[in-house]
Amino acid sequence: MTAVEPRFDAVVHAPPRLQICGLLAAVDTMEFAAVRDHVGVSDSVLSKHVKQLDEAGYVKVGKATIASRQRTSLSLTRAGRAAFAAHVAELRRITEGL
Amino acid sequence: MESSRVDRDDAAAQLAALRNDRKVLADRAMQPWWYDALLGTCVFVLLGAQALDDPVATVVGCLLGVAGLRWLVSTYRRLTGTWVNGFRDGRTRKAIAVWLVLYALVVVPAFVLHLGYGQHWAMAVAGAVLGFSIAVISRWWSRIHIAELREGL
Repeated sequence: MTAVEPRFDAVVHAPPRLQICGLLAAVDTMEFAAVRDHVGVSDSVLSKHVKQLDEAGYVKVGKATIASRQRTSLSLTRAGRAAFAAHVAELRRITEGL
Repeated sequence: MESSRVDRDDAAAQLAALRNDRKVLADRAMQPWWYDALLGTCVFVLLGAQALDDPVATVVGCLLGVAGLRWLVSTYRRLTGTWVNGFRDGRTRKAIAVWLVLYALVVVPAFVLHLGYGQHWAMAVAGAVLGFSIAVISRWWSRIHIAELREGL
């Protein structure tokens, strides 16, 4: 297993975004509505944070029509996964010895 | 250094929250039993259709199997709100490896019997064996995945 270099990431760090990245890191894709329900924020608040992650190149937003309904799915990009893993490694480094 | 803005207690709380989120995901990750039963049925239909003498029936069987698999994927997504690639990295790889080896061991001889010796029944038997196997392996895969989620980050 390759060791991850600890690195604080200001984009990932904000609590709602850290939680969003944590959820997306555990899956390949997650529906926008499922993320919203997990995180417990409104559509607009989630959209704002997703936009910031998208602009950083960390999240990919996908849209598909399933059963005549428009569905939005979110997934972490390779860069997003790397940034999240490095940020978690940094959190672990900070808590070492606790 | 930017990380100085995060003290030890905050970092520990954030890690605990991330682990808790994974546990919540794990609680919802196991598919219902009928999902695996239908998955096995689709595999049986796809392979078993090769045993039919009528080419039209074979094509219809294949289309039904593929349509069933597509429906299962969209249903899983609707039920859980998530999708996880079966070939993902991690311990679930061993379940996939077992499936691929079993698939090759069953399908290759079945196709040889079917195409080389005209023993069409072989494909129906292969479909039944692999249909049952994928149903069992699918649940095994999910148990491994759920255990990984519960272990945290």
